[in-house]
Amino acid sequence: MRLTFGPEVEAFRREFLAWLAENRPGEDEMAAEPALSSAHVPEWARRWTRRLFDAGWLVPGWPPERGGRNAGPVETLVYLEELTKAGVPRTTNPQGLGIIAPSILDYGNEAQIRDYAMPVLRGERAACLGMSEPGAGSDLASLSTRAVLDGDSFVINGQKVWTSGANYADFCFLFCRTDSQAPKHKGISVVLVDMATPGITVRPIAQIARPEYPDLNEVFFSDVVVPETNLVGKLNNGWAMANGSLAHERGMVWLSGVLGLERQMAAVLPEAPAALARLAPAERAVVADGLVQSAIDAVAARCLGYRGFAKLVRGGSAPEQALMKLFTSESNRRLALRAAELGGDRAVDIGATPDSAETWMERYFITFGGTISAGSSEIQRNIIAEKVLGLPR
Amino acid sequence: MDLEFSEDEAALRDNVRAVLAGICPPAAVRAVFEGKGDPASVWSRMVELDWPGLGLPEEAGGLGMGYVAVALVAEELGRAVAPGAFLATVTQFAPAVRELQGPSDLLARVAAGRVTGAVALAEESGWEPAAVVATARETADGWVLAGTKRAVLDGARADEVLVIARAEGTSGPEGLGAFLVAGSDLDATPRPVIDPTLPLADLGLDGVVVPPDRVLVPPGAEGVPEALERAGQEAIVALAASTVGACRVVFERTVDYAKVREQYGRPIGSFQALKHRMADMFLAVERATALCYFAALTIAEEDPRRAEAASMAKAAAGECQELVARDGLQLHGGIGVTWENDLHFPVKRAITGDTLYGNAVHHRARLAQMLGLAA
Repeated sequence: MRLTFGPEVEAFRREFLAWLAENRPGEDEMAAEPALSSAHVPEWARRWTRRLFDAGWLVPGWPPERGGRNAGPVETLVYLEELTKAGVPRTTNPQGLGIIAPSILDYGNEAQIRDYAMPVLRGERAACLGMSEPGAGSDLASLSTRAVLDGDSFVINGQKVWTSGANYADFCFLFCRTDSQAPKHKGISVVLVDMATPGITVRPIAQIARPEYPDLNEVFFSDVVVPETNLVGKLNNGWAMANGSLAHERGMVWLSGVLGLERQMAAVLPEAPAALARLAPAERAVVADGLVQSAIDAVAARCLGYRGFAKLVRGGSAPEQALMKLFTSESNRRLALRAAELGGDRAVDIGATPDSAETWMERYFITFGGTISAGSSEIQRNIIAEKVLGLPR
Repeated sequence: MDLEFSEDEAALRDNVRAVLAGICPPAAVRAVFEGKGDPASVWSRMVELDWPGLGLPEEAGGLGMGYVAVALVAEELGRAVAPGAFLATVTQFAPAVRELQGPSDLLARVAAGRVTGAVALAEESGWEPAAVVATARETADGWVLAGTKRAVLDGARADEVLVIARAEGTSGPEGLGAFLVAGSDLDATPRPVIDPTLPLADLGLDGVVVPPDRVLVPPGAEGVPEALERAGQEAIVALAASTVGACRVVFERTVDYAKVREQYGRPIGSFQALKHRMADMFLAVERATALCYFAALTIAEEDPRRAEAASMAKAAAGECQELVARDGLQLHGGIGVTWENDLHFPVKRAITGDTLYGNAVHHRARLAQMLGLAA
């Protein structure tokens, strides 16, 4: 165990920081055209993702032709940390870059890589992930959107829900049922669907906070015709990809959870002394104690993440992924509510206009995205109990 | 930051665990709890293996393996619920002597296992050096002590007790000094406590005269509060590690039990209500473990975050204890609250470890001050 990385890693950090200082998008540029959903790619973001790709800084662990520089996992960690510290997102289409493009690179054919994966990496196309359905949330394998082969095309009928960014995406990485007779895990395939295809209706879902800027959507498919060549990987092999895509998502997702928690903590600490001073004396120690517990959570999350990461680097598996998802999302939610309560009666305020900064209470509502999506906290506890602790199903 | 064991650290951990399985099996732990055990024989084996000098620098007669090694041993001692002088001597007494005085003949004798020690710090006023009330008054014969120390680990059996006392008329961090007193010269009252592997005593100081050559640092000497603070961090993190080690055993036994205990025709571990509680226990143990290792590293590498990290580790260990002891007992059902089952040994070890050197609430209050959140 040691507190610091070696000199080579620090040299890598310096190299990236120097490049970042020269090339990053400006604060004004980003603020002038904020991303409105997780598949909305403003002009500055298109240019920026492309610049990262061309310089080999988009996915450092990949080879140069895919926007990387064959960096190791520790270097990748340092890169992601510095990027987050600088307040610059790699992309405004995180699922496209983090899940969909890697899945196509792993399972897709050459044409799919050329027409779908690479354009996402170059910031030219944005993608959404069609997984959840009204009847298939945590139990994804029971999904019922059907793709029926008719000649050399699939005909798709059904409905997806909670689809992030579908209102802006160029295409969908769609999980659908291709064999209704097989056991439920064995009849699922993935098809790439252009969102402009006739028969697709996208209905944005206004959320509990910031209803003006919906990110989640219902997506309806009515006799949507897609070429058979858009099938990703083998027919009825989609479940492997569901697990694969979640693995992509969780590979480094712990880090964004940790960095998010640290960012929230760094935001609340400067506000805290003045807010505590406004409280009645008897309340102060109680409220402060809640913030201290969150401060401990933030440091613990980083330490826990680094421990899991160290195991990964040494070639072991990292069962801590479910633990990190559970811990960071729950910690984030606790902290947001504590920060809101710190404001006394201000706790119930919302932003004066849709473009005002979010209040802590709005952030609290938004943190439920973390504890519900991509496997709810309850599902994570099941995974920990069964896969890590070996408890019987 | 690399928070996984190196090969050397893993080898040390495995070695310590294997040794403890031999010298401190469950039957030996039970014997100590039933007043029939012999902690001295456990300690003498540790001395033969050079554990007393594990973390001390080579120039002080130690093995120079640093504080991470000490914390690893403390965690394993908690796992095994091992008795013996290690925690008081190696993680409390030795760091205090080293921080106050630097390398010395006394420290070399500690490293060689020839002397055991204890630190008499806490009083009714709490665990902070600045809260010490006991006094030392200089006379022609030496310094005359007055006051009462509480909850001194190994206070009734250590060879040497380092007594922290202050010059009369001083308060807070001012006027603190440290005095060496032979254990046999103190009026020690052993406390009846839940965990006899961590034996506590209250020490009456009134009338004890410390000759000049036994004054480690006279009251008001420069740097005493800082030295006590730094030594205290080593004690705190070792207790946190011991607590986490004990919690991990409680947790593991609970999971094992839930896999075999059947009700309604199925293992109780298949019920989701219980699964979720065990997942939360696992999180609490992992959270506290990670913070313990981080804190141990900040001490080993002289990182400026060491005060904050130590309190976070101790607070997390205490919170872990609260959850794991409670749910460990609860999920065992009736058998968990019997004397016959071994579960209560690590439970009591964990609760005691939380209590000593400030419990979770104490350390969160300290953190509130460090983070600028104190009223």
